[in-house]
Amino acid sequence: MKSSQRNRQTAREAGLIACHFCHSLVKMPRQRQENTELHCPVCNSVLHSRIPYSLTKTSALLLAALFLYVPANILPIMTVIFQGAGQPDTIMQGVLHLLEGGMWPLALIVFVASIVVPILKLVVLSGLLISIRFQSQWNPVERTRLYRIMEFIGRWSMVDIFVIAILVALVQFGNTASIFPGLGALSFAAVVVLTMFAAHTFDPRLIWDNMHD
Amino acid sequence: MSSSSHCNSLTLRACPDCDLLQELPCSQAGHAIYCVRCGHLLKKTCHDSLNRSLAFALTGIFLFILANSFPFISLSALGIEQDSSLFSASWAFYQMDRPFLAILVLFTTIIFPLLSLIGMVIVLIAVKMKRIQRTLIAPLFRFLMSTDAWGMLEVFLLAVLVAVVKLGDMADIVIGVSMYAFIALIIVLTLLSLSLDPEDVWQELRKGVKQ
Ligand SMILES: [Zn+2]
Ligand SMILES: [Zn+2]
Repeated sequence: MKSSQRNRQTAREAGLIACHFCHSLVKMPRQRQENTELHCPVCNSVLHSRIPYSLTKTSALLLAALFLYVPANILPIMTVIFQGAGQPDTIMQGVLHLLEGGMWPLALIVFVASIVVPILKLVVLSGLLISIRFQSQWNPVERTRLYRIMEFIGRWSMVDIFVIAILVALVQFGNTASIFPGLGALSFAAVVVLTMFAAHTFDPRLIWDNMHD
Repeated sequence: MSSSSHCNSLTLRACPDCDLLQELPCSQAGHAIYCVRCGHLLKKTCHDSLNRSLAFALTGIFLFILANSFPFISLSALGIEQDSSLFSASWAFYQMDRPFLAILVLFTTIIFPLLSLIGMVIVLIAVKMKRIQRTLIAPLFRFLMSTDAWGMLEVFLLAVLVAVVKLGDMADIVIGVSMYAFIALIIVLTLLSLSLDPEDVWQELRKGVKQ
């Protein structure tokens, strides 16, 4: 076969499996026996042509994240006790406090990391899932790029959790001033972790499998 | 096919993001190569990737120890001083009965960053010495690559900045020695991830395996 022709072929079409971790190419066995796993000769990981049950796993993780997203935003992420009086703070209130203090660049960063990024991840990953379900032909390059961005920015949402950790560690002056973590922080951390896993289990190659050119 | 792994020829790769097969030139110091169909970065451009990465990883371990040895920030109010180290951030959650958050912070700010630095040194030294025990080194490197997203020190640094601003007007804040070590560590970690091309390590590990 000419190399120009080979250039338009995927590994799967060529009867090869690329290892997910070390990218070694392995021949797909002609007849696969049930329940036998194929291992990568280089790194010994289990080989799959596509991530198994990728769409199911990703949808389940996204759904769980969506449910937890509500308490994450309604419940206080921390309670600030100042001179005996307690004041619960939600994520949005935390952003507003920064804004009131005149710290708009930081307020913007926290707003993006804690509010925009989680919503964006939920919406974009769901959109990608739907586009694959309905075999969308819409710009696969853009969809793959969107996926890569989602995978990259997800971890920055952890910034609020770390802020709470630092504040709780530092501000412990009894009744005068103390900060305690709230249940909202727990739900929010779970949302971040679940959407990160959702991005991990999503297989962008499925976008391309649907394309008929 | 000859078993010699000196390749002046092309290597066949499947793009991890779109599965398209394409041939990459095997030269060590070429330019960066992107997937022709989806634009995924297939090969970085760095020269001498392994040596540089090893130097960065060793520096990183030293800075990591330094950053964890002293408090990086302290707060004084009412004549009482409170300080915080990296570890006390996760310890605070544990004491407040939030074990899940404590474990999450512990893993993302201490365990994964430390493991990835130590693991990287082990892998790179093994590859350099040409004494590769593939059954150990390959799974170790695989683990390092797959947990890469979970080390979040640079996110933590942003959080320190936000916390300092939030506390700024109510108390006196003193930045500790560890803070500088911590900032240097983030820079070194960034340089490490920029210089290391995992493909160079896999290429070494692939030698002698029948395909
Ligand atoms: Zn492999
Ligand atoms: Zn591609």
